[in-house]
Amino acid sequence: MAAIPSQARSKTLRACLLCSVIQAPIDFKKNGCPNCEEVLQMKNSPDRIASCTTTQFDGVIAVVDPDNSWVARWQRTAKYVRGMYAVRVTGRIPEEVEDELTSRGIKYRPRDQNDQD
Amino acid sequence: MSNDEHPMFDDDRHGGAQEEEEEEQADEPMDDAPSKKSKPRQKGLEEEDEEEDEEEDEEDEEEDTGRKSKKRPKHRHKKRDALSRFLDIEAEVSEDEEEEEDEEEYGADNFITHGETDDVDDELTRRNHALLDSSRHFEEEDKSPEEIAKAVARRHRDRAVPYTGDMNEIPQRLLMPSVHDASLWQVRVKPGRERDIVFSLMRKAIDVEYTARPLNILSAFQRDSLPGMIYVEARSAKQVQQACLGLVGVYPSRGIQLVPIEEMASLLQIKKQEMTLTPGTWVRIRRGKYAGDLAQVVDLTENGEDIGLRLIPRIDMNPRDDAALDPAAKKRKKPTAGPGTMRPPQRLFNYEEILKVWGRKHVTKRNQSFVFQNDTYTDGFLEKDFKFNALIVDDVNPTLDEITQFTRRQDGGEDNVVNLSAIAEASRKAAIAVLQPGDHVEVFEGEQSGVHGVVDEINGDVVTLTAQGLDLDGQKMEIPARGVRKRFKPGDHVKVMAGTNTDETGLVVSVADNVVTFVSDMSMQEISVFSKDLREAAEVGTGSNTVGNYELYDLVQLDAQTVGVIFKIERDTFRVLDQNGQVRLVQPHQISMRRDSTRAIATDSEGHELRVNDNVKEVDGEGRKGRVLHTHQSFFAFLHNRDIAENGGVFVTRTRSLASLAPKSNVLKTAGADLSKMNPALIAPTGGMVGSGAMGRGPRDRHIGATVTVIKGPHKSYVGTIKDTNGQIARVELRTGNRIIMIDKEKLRRRLPNGKLEPLDQPLRIPNQMGPPTSNSYASAGSFGGRTPFNMGKTPNPYNVDGRTPAWNASSRTPNPYADGGRTPAWNATSRTPNPYATGDGSRTPVWTVHGRTPNPYATGANAGAPSTGGGWGGATPGRNAGWQTPARTAATSSTTTTTTTTSGWGAPADGWNTPGRPASSGWDTGSSWSAPTPAAAATPGVHLGQTPAAPTPAAVSQTPDGVWSLPIAHTAATPGVSASGYIPSRGSDEGVDPNWLFDPVLVNYLPRLKIIIKGTNTAQYLDGDYENRTGRILAAQENPAEFEQTARVRFDDDGEERSIIARYIIPQTASKILEDVLIIGGTHKGRAMVVRERPEHDDRDHNPLIVVGAKHEFSIENVPSKWVVPLGE
Repeated sequence: MAAIPSQARSKTLRACLLCSVIQAPIDFKKNGCPNCEEVLQMKNSPDRIASCTTTQFDGVIAVVDPDNSWVARWQRTAKYVRGMYAVRVTGRIPEEVEDELTSRGIKYRPRDQNDQD
Repeated sequence: MSNDEHPMFDDDRHGGAQEEEEEEQADEPMDDAPSKKSKPRQKGLEEEDEEEDEEEDEEDEEEDTGRKSKKRPKHRHKKRDALSRFLDIEAEVSEDEEEEEDEEEYGADNFITHGETDDVDDELTRRNHALLDSSRHFEEEDKSPEEIAKAVARRHRDRAVPYTGDMNEIPQRLLMPSVHDASLWQVRVKPGRERDIVFSLMRKAIDVEYTARPLNILSAFQRDSLPGMIYVEARSAKQVQQACLGLVGVYPSRGIQLVPIEEMASLLQIKKQEMTLTPGTWVRIRRGKYAGDLAQVVDLTENGEDIGLRLIPRIDMNPRDDAALDPAAKKRKKPTAGPGTMRPPQRLFNYEEILKVWGRKHVTKRNQSFVFQNDTYTDGFLEKDFKFNALIVDDVNPTLDEITQFTRRQDGGEDNVVNLSAIAEASRKAAIAVLQPGDHVEVFEGEQSGVHGVVDEINGDVVTLTAQGLDLDGQKMEIPARGVRKRFKPGDHVKVMAGTNTDETGLVVSVADNVVTFVSDMSMQEISVFSKDLREAAEVGTGSNTVGNYELYDLVQLDAQTVGVIFKIERDTFRVLDQNGQVRLVQPHQISMRRDSTRAIATDSEGHELRVNDNVKEVDGEGRKGRVLHTHQSFFAFLHNRDIAENGGVFVTRTRSLASLAPKSNVLKTAGADLSKMNPALIAPTGGMVGSGAMGRGPRDRHIGATVTVIKGPHKSYVGTIKDTNGQIARVELRTGNRIIMIDKEKLRRRLPNGKLEPLDQPLRIPNQMGPPTSNSYASAGSFGGRTPFNMGKTPNPYNVDGRTPAWNASSRTPNPYADGGRTPAWNATSRTPNPYATGDGSRTPVWTVHGRTPNPYATGANAGAPSTGGGWGGATPGRNAGWQTPARTAATSSTTTTTTTTSGWGAPADGWNTPGRPASSGWDTGSSWSAPTPAAAATPGVHLGQTPAAPTPAAVSQTPDGVWSLPIAHTAATPGVSASGYIPSRGSDEGVDPNWLFDPVLVNYLPRLKIIIKGTNTAQYLDGDYENRTGRILAAQENPAEFEQTARVRFDDDGEERSIIARYIIPQTASKILEDVLIIGGTHKGRAMVVRERPEHDDRDHNPLIVVGAKHEFSIENVPSKWVVPLGE
């Protein structure tokens, strides 16, 4: 379960560049990203948070039931925790993270919706 | 899906151990860092041991296929991460709820962890068992349950789930929704609250999850580009409704609409055009001190959030007080710097200036930059990071001015050249929009670079052009629109289509890339603009005649002494000709106000009045002609003549050297006319009564208001009123058809009330001579036009004239003007004449005096009559009233009156008084008798001025009782003779109401409304007098042959009885109420429905007091004897 930001309008809300989960910066700092902490390791690391999350996102999804939700599946967040997700996130994860993913054989899909297949 | 994952999973398994080690290492410092953490961890290990023990047996059983098949369900409850050495411990603490949640979250990927945990368990448990087992119990007991719970919770969080990129391999198209998926429902919400509502839905879903009625929605989302709606994923609309229940700002009542399955994906794919910023891009600041300012991107952070900008600082060079200088006070100061305060102007950072104003300690130097108030200034520019959200990146459209500011560096560095490509880039989009077929363009980009030609066609972003020149001549080619720009060559005449120089025209002098420099036709200055903003144009012009509040030919105040007329408007300056004949170049802000001279009056060389728009010419000097634009201080006149080239045809001259081109009548020339206008006594009463504006201003042309008949042309024989004149052309409002026509005055003849025509320009009686009486009183009345111009026009009948004259109102409503008269200049003037009225000054009843002194029969008459009518007239002049009343009575008989008057020796030219000697007996009906009031002339200003012994008006009155009616106009305020009382007598007994009035055809329409009363039946014993004094309405009146008694059918008001009554007993009721609807049954207004404006104080019918009535919807006043006034019912 991701932390649900208390302030919906807050300009400071950040979306994870990898999984698009939206949290308040403080939550990223405390707990990291609920889905990709293993890769991004943002916990207690403001620098990582700054480089791996962004305030540049558009559209907010409340994923209540990820397993059954088509929206979550479409957004490729069906396997992630429940929480708030962004529809579109501008930006890419840092290159070393991308490399890491590649080395694991995971294809990185930017969440900016610029290329879709 | 699972197929896809298996290979992945295998990969993981291989690298799993490795990763776990890394994880462990990564975890360790994290856990150890806080000293507290070591404890729980130890404890955790112990617990794990315990669990391990319990499960040992089973594990053995199923060793090869993942030893912990039974343990697996348990593991599922916890995070089965790579380093799940503590998994079992957590199980022991076993917070059920949390486990369940975890299960939901991670249930899907158990198999992954399975492999991982195998290794971990083996390795770690064995290593730590012995070590921790012993200490475990102690520590366990030391802890409170809360602490344990906390520790476990922390551990839970600390576990990082391996990122697997779930479902990444599935192409998006395979994720399209199917019929088995839940639907999307569109819900209307309050615009601006979409995001809050989505968050609220999430929180609500969590809150009610374990209640009896959990939310059955799967997800909800909002898009910034779809304001006012959110989308909820659920199986049914009802579930959506339920979810939205109780949320503020959601309008489920506006319909929960199903999103068609094929549109679902596109909702999530909406993408707004994003402008990517690169260093060098121009942007604008959205808000704050620099709102709207242009800025250039210097650098960007990697995620594009913070953008380093360079912009021109706005530093407050006038810090308000010392407190502002004190950094500690900064916070306090900030709120006061609200929108009301002026923002400092853009200005490059100047170290010395800042030092001077702010002091040394506020500025520090760092390398090449200065730091001031936490901002860095380099080369005079502010360099500051802004958030992306705070910038406007679309439609920036930097202007050349703005951009050149950026290049104007303090140190004159290398960057001095305008980076045109950057500008071009910024305005490229706009450039496409401004291209039009026929434009001459050149290609500046791509393979065809350098080719130029004429645009044939524009299709989206592709321009088809016909190349010109070289070997490509005539070829058609398609070029992307962004690669072409308009082409101009020196010598072209161009017009600016956009920007601050809009509408400027000029000749191109140089072209540098896309910047075109031309010399303005208007200001002769060089102006540089982007070629995209130019068009070739033949026209030369200023474009607009208005800048700010000022228009061409406005009279403007430049300073306390100087006024001038704008004769030319340039882009943002005016050329003004001041009253001294000097031309000034004036900025709008230098003008203090615009002056209105439309009401200013000046006199020309001949003493004529001179007004705006008069056509005049100079009598001396150059003899220039022109139209008066403005007059100033009655001394200067600004004229305009299109034929004069200098100063746009505007020139200034003195009013005294001007003469009107259109000769004016003599009347207005006289000083008398002017003075009368200035006489407050004359003007005041009029102002209060008839629409004062027209009265106060006086006529421009004495023909205005005249009733005329057209004698030539298509409108021949039409009757109308002159509304306005312009030279020889008159605008005549026709009586018929409610039309206004323009017609030459030659074709008009003044129409007299008796239907006679006379030339318009027939010389009128000059007021200060008692003038040879004309046969027509109206001519003389005309000379009063100044005061009652339209009276005459509208109602060529004496009653009207009377009725509308101010005198009437004045006398009846206000303290008698005569009383006041004593104080007016007119009075003084008269008093200087050898006029008996002079004596009247002192006493308020000059008439009395006068009469008393003359052997005039009226005097006696006056005595006799006084008691009867005196009451009707204001206290000031009762005597006069009375005085006139009596003679009037006798008037019918008396031609002697005339003689008496003359003999009375009033000093008036005898002939003036004699002529009217029309037999008064001619009565009301004869038009000729109305012309009688020639003496009215006496009432003209001349009288008041006392230039002539015209005063004896009263004589005139007495002389012709009929004339009395017209007199009041003339006398309005000034002459005592005008006493209104004169009227009373004038109605001789010969004027009665026709006994058969009821049957007058003009009344037919009003019959049923007439309020009548039965009178006279008692004496006649008609119907035993039963109906005497009963009131009722006429139902029908039919005139019978003469030999029969005339009867009318009457319905009585009280009991509704209807019966025929002999007509002669049917008498109109008396109109008694102000504003009562009445019908006039006699006199000139016969048949008109009017409204009582004023009632006589005295309503003795026999004396026929007057009722002042007005037409219902006009503001005009007539006097009608009350016996002719019949009240109308509804």
